[in-house]
Amino acid sequence: MPQNQTPAGRPDRPALRRARRPARRYSAQAAVYKNRRPLWLFLLPAFTFMGIYLFYPFFRNIVDSFQVIEGLGMPAKGLNDPWYLNYSKMLTDPVMRTAVLNTLLLMLCTLVFQVGMALLLALLVDRAGRGAGFFRTVYFFPIVISATALGLLFNLIFLYDGGMLNQLLQQLNWTSKNIDWKGEKFWFSTMTLPVMWQYVGYYFVIILTGLNNIPAELYEAAAIDGAGPWQLVRYIKWPLLHNTLCTCLTLAITGALKVFDLPWTMMPNGMPLDKSWLTGTYMYKQTMLAKDVDYAGAIGVFIVLLGVLLSQLSQRIFRERDE
Amino acid sequence: MKRKLSALLSLATAAAMLSACSSSTASTTTAAATTKAAESSAAEQTTQQEASSTAAATTEEATTAGTTAATGGVSLTVVTSFGGDDGNRQNYEDAYTAWEAATGNTVKDASATSNEQWKAQVLSDFETGSEPDVLFFFNGVDSNPLVEGEEVVSIDEIREVYPDYASNMDDSKLGASPVDGKNYSIPTAGYWEAMYVNKTVLEDAGVEIPDADTTWDEFLTMCQTIKDKGYTPIAVSLAEVPHYWFEYTVLNNGSRAVHEIVPTDSSSEEYTNWVNGLNDIKDLYSKGFLPENTLTATDAETFQLMADNKAAFAIDGSWKMGWFFGSTDEDGNEVAGNVDDVSRYTVTYVPAKGDRKTTDMIGGLSMGYYITRKAWEDPEKQAAAVSFVEAMTTDDVVGKMAGGTAVTALKNGTPAAENPNSLVLDALAMIKGSTGTVSAVQDNLSSEQKTKLLVDDVKLVANGSITAEQAVDDTLALAK
Repeated sequence: MPQNQTPAGRPDRPALRRARRPARRYSAQAAVYKNRRPLWLFLLPAFTFMGIYLFYPFFRNIVDSFQVIEGLGMPAKGLNDPWYLNYSKMLTDPVMRTAVLNTLLLMLCTLVFQVGMALLLALLVDRAGRGAGFFRTVYFFPIVISATALGLLFNLIFLYDGGMLNQLLQQLNWTSKNIDWKGEKFWFSTMTLPVMWQYVGYYFVIILTGLNNIPAELYEAAAIDGAGPWQLVRYIKWPLLHNTLCTCLTLAITGALKVFDLPWTMMPNGMPLDKSWLTGTYMYKQTMLAKDVDYAGAIGVFIVLLGVLLSQLSQRIFRERDE
Repeated sequence: MKRKLSALLSLATAAAMLSACSSSTASTTTAAATTKAAESSAAEQTTQQEASSTAAATTEEATTAGTTAATGGVSLTVVTSFGGDDGNRQNYEDAYTAWEAATGNTVKDASATSNEQWKAQVLSDFETGSEPDVLFFFNGVDSNPLVEGEEVVSIDEIREVYPDYASNMDDSKLGASPVDGKNYSIPTAGYWEAMYVNKTVLEDAGVEIPDADTTWDEFLTMCQTIKDKGYTPIAVSLAEVPHYWFEYTVLNNGSRAVHEIVPTDSSSEEYTNWVNGLNDIKDLYSKGFLPENTLTATDAETFQLMADNKAAFAIDGSWKMGWFFGSTDEDGNEVAGNVDDVSRYTVTYVPAKGDRKTTDMIGGLSMGYYITRKAWEDPEKQAAAVSFVEAMTTDDVVGKMAGGTAVTALKNGTPAAENPNSLVLDALAMIKGSTGTVSAVQDNLSSEQKTKLLVDDVKLVANGSITAEQAVDDTLALAK
């Protein structure tokens, strides 16, 4: 007998009403999800913010890069002659060439040392068992310190006269004279090392989370099959980390294009002798010091194009695959 | 109901973001300044409460402090060059904290060390509409954009409302704007540039202290002797502050009469003086008389060599005196200087060559307090800004800043230093023996030209990467 009928065969209306209630509630909830208007309302603030502070300045900057602007906030004095002057200047500017090469080199170092070191540390901490939380905090810690503070810290470490590194080397009798770590010989490693050190923790946490997501059953099965630590890495962790590593590499490539504060604090004005410029620091110099705002705008456009190009390239190379 | 609430929240978030955009809070120029501003902001609330309860007393105190009566509770953003290790930092802090206590107003101090980057940042703040209320800045060509853009208020305009403004100053010495010849800023202490000497290093090297008769060639011989003894003859950062050496090497190749003239083309006498001056710096570098890391060091790093008895000479301004012997804080406590024994240091003329007399010096009144148009047109801030500048330029404050040795625009003349130490006495003797003073030629260069010449190119000339002619040509090209 159907549940909602009385013994006489008539429908039990109160029971039917009770039975319909959940269905009505369900359909009301579904209607909320079907109605897209609240969704737009929630998206509106973020969209407005992005429109005002990101997209408008970006497109405005493209226009400005073709005009003559001699200071921030100053009105344009018409189009450059020829209108593409800043872009042709970029091709012949030796400092811009240095900046692009340095940025690409920094990107390469980021891929090899930041992500590579993060992977190594994550694999070790993943096996550590006890104390893993401690190491996680220690390695992540540099991320929370401001880049300017880190720059000042490393300035003291690399100080020529009385710096920590020079004192240490002299105490160990490895050198009798001070070494100019920011000089022509060592400037690249002096600039790159702190940048690498700062962000290793960031990728370390991402990779460690990826490792934690690998089911324990796989390790157990591998252990039963007699797999050692190296085989675990080679045949279980490495393949299952593929997508996580792809994300890290894409983030590292795009992140390297934005590096600015730490190199600027440590090696201002292309120190030494215009050798340490990066695209970001050179754009800042052209805007704030040289007051060539339209040229800085053109450099900005170039940085965005380079970023789009490289991130597309990295997504093709490090294509994520379905698990 | 939920939807209405959600819509309300969304609108509130959007409104909050948009209202943040229209905030008129002035930007601060440095990270340190931001921190300071945050601290001041917190302090402001407390001060406002205190100020309201003691309004009558505050007005009385303000008047006795020589200031125009200003309503308590006003917060002024002030940018000066008395930041970092400036010798007058303590005097500046003492003066503005005394003003805060007297008026109940607060200062958001965004001071920094003066260099080309700082100057560019200050001008950018004006361009982007985030200028301070009061600015201590250069009165030469550097200030042209501020005057041309009517971003600062002339003293004549201020006196129409506040007739006693800067009445303790001699108007003819204030440093009129190159744009229209009007006075816009009130200077504290002027400056002279001279050579500081480390007596300990010189004694150990067996070298006499340079005096009014020392020639450039004799100076080079001294440097060689000092270098052979294992010391650094000259403490200078070509990466950061080659300015003083540029001034004196150019003066050495020209004369007081033409020093302030910026060359127009390669056929002019001044062009040759600049090229020869830059080549003299290159000569000092190639002879190994400068610190080994002079192309990468900061000014603070190289000057520390003087304190550590590792370097013999350093050219700097009168403002550097306080760096050696410290100062006295608001409570009368001695603030230590950077050297153990100030009597082991002296200051003297920069050795000369050519037509220049060794006793010809670089100096003048190149900086002063400006009130910005923004503060002047703000009814809440106008009186406070006037009061602040008056308090910072009283005879007493200016006297402390001058340290008894610097030039001032005070009608009553520079007050004598109390209990002068040996360095102050040496400076006074040097000023007394000076045969003439000329302003720095770089004050007549635009910010972009100075950046090109002094930040970008001097070190490249010294290193041989570019020629002196190239550096001067590049700089002059920016004027066109």
